[in-house]
Amino acid sequence: MAAEKEDLLQGTLDLLILRTLALEPQHGWGIARRIQQISRDVLSVTQGSLYPALYRLEEQGWITAEWGISENKRRAKFYRLTRAGERQLVRETESWERFVAAVGRVLRTV
Amino acid sequence: MSAVRRTIAALRGLFQRRRLEAELDEELRFHLAMETEEQLRQGVSPGEAKRRAVLELGGLEPTKEAARSARGYRRLETLGQDVRFALRLLRRNKGYASAVVAALALGIGANTAIFSMVRGVMLRELPYRQPSRLVVLHQRDSRDAETDNNFSVLDIEDLRRRNRSFAGLAEYHSMWFNLLGRAEPERVQTGVVSANFFDVLGTKAILGRTFKPEDDKLGAQPVLVFSHAYWQRSWGGDPAVVGKTLQMNDHPHIVIGVLPPVPQYPEENDLWMPTSACPFRSDPRALASRRGRAYNVFGRLRPGTTLAQAQGDLAAVNRALLAEYPGDYPAGGYQIEAVPLLTELTARARPTLLLLLATVLLVLLIVCANVANLQLARLNSRGDEMGVRAALGAARGRLLRQLLTESVILALLGAALGIGIAAALLRALVAFAARFTTRTGDIALDGWVLAFTVAIAVVAGLLSGTLPAVSASRGIATALRSGGSGRPGPAGSLRLRASLAGVQVAVSFLLLVGAGLTLRSIAKLQAVDAGFDPANVLAVAVDLDWAHYKTPELRRVFHRALLARARSLPGVATAAYSSNYPLDGTGFRTAGVRLEGREVADSEVPQAGLRFASSEVFTALGIRLERGRGFADTDRDGAPRVAVLGHALAGRLFGAEDPVGRRIALAFDDPPIWHTVVGVIANVRDLALDQDPGGAVWVALDQRPALAGSLLLRSRREPQALTAEARAMVHDIDPRQPVGRVQTLETARAAALAAPRLTTILLSAFAALALVVTVIGLGGVIAFGVVRRTREIGIRMALGAGRGAILAGVLGEALVAVGAGLSVGAAVALLLAPVVARLLFGVSPTDPITYLAVVSLLATVAALACLLPARRATEVEPSLALRTL
Repeated sequence: MAAEKEDLLQGTLDLLILRTLALEPQHGWGIARRIQQISRDVLSVTQGSLYPALYRLEEQGWITAEWGISENKRRAKFYRLTRAGERQLVRETESWERFVAAVGRVLRTV
Repeated sequence: MSAVRRTIAALRGLFQRRRLEAELDEELRFHLAMETEEQLRQGVSPGEAKRRAVLELGGLEPTKEAARSARGYRRLETLGQDVRFALRLLRRNKGYASAVVAALALGIGANTAIFSMVRGVMLRELPYRQPSRLVVLHQRDSRDAETDNNFSVLDIEDLRRRNRSFAGLAEYHSMWFNLLGRAEPERVQTGVVSANFFDVLGTKAILGRTFKPEDDKLGAQPVLVFSHAYWQRSWGGDPAVVGKTLQMNDHPHIVIGVLPPVPQYPEENDLWMPTSACPFRSDPRALASRRGRAYNVFGRLRPGTTLAQAQGDLAAVNRALLAEYPGDYPAGGYQIEAVPLLTELTARARPTLLLLLATVLLVLLIVCANVANLQLARLNSRGDEMGVRAALGAARGRLLRQLLTESVILALLGAALGIGIAAALLRALVAFAARFTTRTGDIALDGWVLAFTVAIAVVAGLLSGTLPAVSASRGIATALRSGGSGRPGPAGSLRLRASLAGVQVAVSFLLLVGAGLTLRSIAKLQAVDAGFDPANVLAVAVDLDWAHYKTPELRRVFHRALLARARSLPGVATAAYSSNYPLDGTGFRTAGVRLEGREVADSEVPQAGLRFASSEVFTALGIRLERGRGFADTDRDGAPRVAVLGHALAGRLFGAEDPVGRRIALAFDDPPIWHTVVGVIANVRDLALDQDPGGAVWVALDQRPALAGSLLLRSRREPQALTAEARAMVHDIDPRQPVGRVQTLETARAAALAAPRLTTILLSAFAALALVVTVIGLGGVIAFGVVRRTREIGIRMALGAGRGAILAGVLGEALVAVGAGLSVGAAVALLLAPVVARLLFGVSPTDPITYLAVVSLLATVAALACLLPARRATEVEPSLALRTL
């Protein structure tokens, strides 16, 4: 049961990360801030799950990372969407919208 | 694709671990710094800001651990770590580790050894071309499905001509001949085969050639092919043997080839000859006889023909032959059956091997249960370590894997040792298997056997590790809460241990019943009244060379001289000569028996064993005379012909009438030669101890001088001591005459018992091993329960509980487990009883005495195993126990 819940969260988090990176390359902390800000503090990324998610996405080849200099002149690891990642984002966005629409229909009808 | 990429990433990760770790560290530090700045911006104090940042990140170590495991290389790396850790732990716990490894080595080694036999004998393909297409044909009586009536020369010719399913049918029989032309005359077992025999099998000579059709023409130059074993044994593997001329049956024979080492069936022949070279098979009477059924037939199925199709084809041919020659078959006719060669070769070994395999698997199961029990005990004392590791961020799955790695490593160490044990046993096992099958050359510890060993070791490791690991990881949560007092773990694990002990008791029950039944069976077999007295009798095989003893008169002269000299040997109480002696292992000759004044159709003539024997034979063999008399020296050539009947045969032929004085004839004598029955002897189990005696006709040697037989010497001293004198005596009478096998009747009887005895010894050894392991397991459960409850016992004793109540409390779970184990074991044993029925002699597979004995043995041993450690409970010092509260 625990596993199911985790999977759902993980999938959602992956989508949010990919979407955030579609705007511009960003470091981990920046990604977390951005998600929080854009969702107006509704979605707060559990930070402990952010980095595992990033590594997983990197391993799947959807994002790559390189070291750069952050806005406050620190060395930081910046993540960037790959071509495969862009395609994955489109796929995941579509399936997410289908899912939301379906749930919406059910809620309206039943 | 992604699997490949993940593996590459995992491997890269493994080698760049240091760099990746540093990067992870730096990245997380950057995150913390940013988070802290953010908190500061919001006006929190620096120390508090840092704390909150860490908190938000969810604790630094777990985050790192989660991030690491997101990378594939973790899995490989943890395996390496687990292995290193496990080895370190085992080094520290040498006693525990060696106990577990030794137990597993015994369990796994037994499996390796038995499986190597199963693989070599039953699973391996026969070393012939396309061996699955090879079959053996049997011609069976519809009323007697056991006996193979074999085929006549004409039968075989017709089968060859009329069948549509065989690429080839080959003929085979085996005879003993004397081989001359070397320093010593030699008795050789000779396969007599049609020219296509080796082509049908698909066996090519390793030296020279096998037979060609021209070799099998009547009057062709006789040729010989050597078997590999005989070539090695008797000729030292000399390649120059091909082309040599050897004297046999009064003819020069040319050696044309040597066979590769292939298993032989049904006999292990020394050499082979074409049918035309065999003086008996090439006799015009044999060639023209449809009823002279004495030959085996091997066949190779045509490509694309199934066994069932061949069976149907044979049935059709058989029907046609029955219709054409009704007088040559018994009423009801014969059925022809095709049996795959592999099945035929291994039929006798299969039940025993499968029983042994099942036994060793059960033994391994008990060992696993015991190892699981040991692990549980040790894990309970390791509960604190587990708790601490869990608190430091080790995931539950990770701990589980660590524990399983440990038990699999133990099992693999056990397997390595087990393979050594099996290798040491291999020679004995081959000798054992040779009692059932000629296919022992293929028994080896080959890749298959090693793979099997590793596989069962891994399964055993997982089996013995899973329960304890799951139970331990479930107990982790409670481990720290209990304050690390070193108290063994939760009550659940005691129940688990008790049920494991219950499983052991149940399986032990099965094995003990199996061993008990075979023990009772062999005791019955040993005590069976075989009808003869084997003590102090030496049998010296003297098979006359037919080429030198062509006429009955020549044989008579030899027999008379032999007996006269033998009776004057010092120490010999009785001497006789007989074509057969009990349990000599040779197939006995049979003949149809006609009664005077009773007309019976040819096909309905009763069949009986036929023996040729001199005077005093029944005294020499210790066979009891029931009526009339035995043979006397007066039953000579020219005197009225006499016969003696076995008890069972007398009943079969004459019912309740007294056969003495009645006359019988042997069906093959035409016109009939009447023999007067002069006596009836008691039943003799001379073919096999577990076979009911069918009774035989005995005729007087001097009136029918047989070619083959043995001199039987009942001695007043150690019979073996007569060997040299007997040999010298034969040599003195005829220097060209070889002496065959010399053995005492005791030896022959022991050989007949060797196979069941060895099976019994193996089963008993395995059952004893199971029992010991079970006792250790049970004792462990009780001891563990006592330690776990020391406090409780102390309190109860302080409150005035008696010893009995304390004991009952401690013994409770174990006794329930023993009881349950006994009932389950008994139920399963009764269920399996029919399976072992045919391996038993004179004992029912549900023999109540065996079951009762096993129940009381197990109950007694279990009670002792429980009581000894349980007594420690009553010795608990209440004040001491309470102080540790």
